[in-house]
Amino acid sequence: MIHTLAQIIERSAVQFPEKDAFRCLDNSITYAQLNIKANQLAAYLITSGIIKGERVGIYMNRCLDTTIAVYGILKAGAAYVPMDPFMPLNRTISIMQDCGIEHVMTTPSQLKKIKSLVEKTSFLKSIVGISENLGTTTFSWENIYSKSLEDFCPPRIMEEDLAFILYTSGSTGIPKGIMHTHKSGLSLARLAANLYDFNETDRIGTFAPLHFDPSTFGYYASPLVGATAVIIPDAHLKLPVSLSALVEKEKITVWFSVPLVLIQLLTKGEIEKHDFSSLRWVLFAGEVFITKHLRALMQQWPHAQFSNLYGPAEVILCTYYNLDSVPEMDEPIPIGTVWGNTEYKILDHTDKEAKKGVPGELVVRTTTMMHGYWDNKALTEQSFYRVKIASGYDHIYYRTGDLVKENDNNELLFLGRNDRQIKLRGYRIELDEIEFTLLKHELIEEAAVMVVEKSDKSHELVAVVKPLFGSSIEAQSLTAFCKTYLPGYAVPETVEILEDFPRTSSGKINRKEITKMLLPD
Amino acid sequence: MKERIIQYIKHEICNEPLEGIDVQDDLLGSGIVDSMGMMKLVLFLENEFKVQISTEDMTVENFMTVKNIMEYLSKK
Repeated sequence: MIHTLAQIIERSAVQFPEKDAFRCLDNSITYAQLNIKANQLAAYLITSGIIKGERVGIYMNRCLDTTIAVYGILKAGAAYVPMDPFMPLNRTISIMQDCGIEHVMTTPSQLKKIKSLVEKTSFLKSIVGISENLGTTTFSWENIYSKSLEDFCPPRIMEEDLAFILYTSGSTGIPKGIMHTHKSGLSLARLAANLYDFNETDRIGTFAPLHFDPSTFGYYASPLVGATAVIIPDAHLKLPVSLSALVEKEKITVWFSVPLVLIQLLTKGEIEKHDFSSLRWVLFAGEVFITKHLRALMQQWPHAQFSNLYGPAEVILCTYYNLDSVPEMDEPIPIGTVWGNTEYKILDHTDKEAKKGVPGELVVRTTTMMHGYWDNKALTEQSFYRVKIASGYDHIYYRTGDLVKENDNNELLFLGRNDRQIKLRGYRIELDEIEFTLLKHELIEEAAVMVVEKSDKSHELVAVVKPLFGSSIEAQSLTAFCKTYLPGYAVPETVEILEDFPRTSSGKINRKEITKMLLPD
Repeated sequence: MKERIIQYIKHEICNEPLEGIDVQDDLLGSGIVDSMGMMKLVLFLENEFKVQISTEDMTVENFMTVKNIMEYLSKK
């Protein structure tokens, strides 16, 4: 019986010492090697004065070094904080200040950015992963791997101990740190591995960057069963033809990514020229998979099973929906039902349980739930929905902020963000409904609809669309198209056509950024 | 050619000032060019060097570094 994330690797190192735990292009690491190297990093961190619960940064792109950093930090009893190298430096610095990061693990390809980071900060005590002298203590990975483990005395870790903090942008613009424990991470790994029957012969494609919560699949669920996690490098995610070739070469059996990666593969990845017969599960989460694209993909890969997963980073994942057949209609597919060790309620706007079939906010109580937001008790409490059982004992649910309703098969349907329902000139408008309408158009690949404040302070409904690769549409015809489906007040006043959308680092459409682009100068 | 490509990436694609881009730098992995930047870069190369870049040519081998891009363009 294991209780912590660190023990995942320790157990698999005994059971499958010579098997590849992780691979990334031509580099790979076996379970035995990973266990030793992670111990060496933990030993280094402990001698540098890291104490239990301390936060250690990981500043890396997708690469094999991430695995040693993750497990080394966990084994030292510390919590890791992934920092996205694609993020503006100032945001990285505000995260480091928010949770008090003094040690950063990195990799040689980030040398330039690390240099700027060191120049702009004064609180860094050491950097692991580069050998150049930057005025702060630096250790190369080779230094770490030469450390003796003779005196290494690992700390005792409890399942309730902090394991990692994931920062997401808060609605106020200040990033908020979602605290996950060994328990929430290990529960996730167990539930996922069990649901999709992961086993040691699997090769699990790891698409998510470390700072995005689905990365827990590759980093924890895969090693839990002794499978091989294949880290997909950043470059391949931007170049679908290369991605097709890589997935074929690596004989990936489980795919888990945001829908965008699959859509790009479908439209630009030349998938008919490659062999994907090893794929047994295609899993996706993070955004709604536009049904027409999903159907096209399922028809290309009839041998694979498809499953839609849903969950905010605060609970990582909580519902799933396995597709038994190719969807015939364009209606969005359900997010399904909650998985193991999880319960839920649907609340109306007065926080009472909504009647069956009536839309309301989804709240979930689950073993994968975060401990709270870092150093923000008020925000944490706001995000909880408490059901009092007895004095001093509550059942705590997480408020997802997502609108759902239950269909006749007791499956949950995702209706959009709570805040995507707006009032404009007195009319109640569902922004997601307008997007869904635009997507019915055969030449539209993606659409985003938002309200923009004009210079005279009036509000305007704006649609931004991305045409299907290689096709062109006129904005006027789209307005006409919307008029045939929507009431006049819900027809976007302006339609902008973009080659591609700005995205968040996890690949979601970045509506905030689009809104900024649309603002009058 | 080298300078024109590097200047474009530096001024039009990077979100933040960089001290410099070497021809061997991994553009896609090190956080210099994101997905949207990649699209912009391809359009720029097509216009600037009067070439057609087909989907099948958009590979890691051709676009990982400035050096790769130059070698690719010289073959066109």
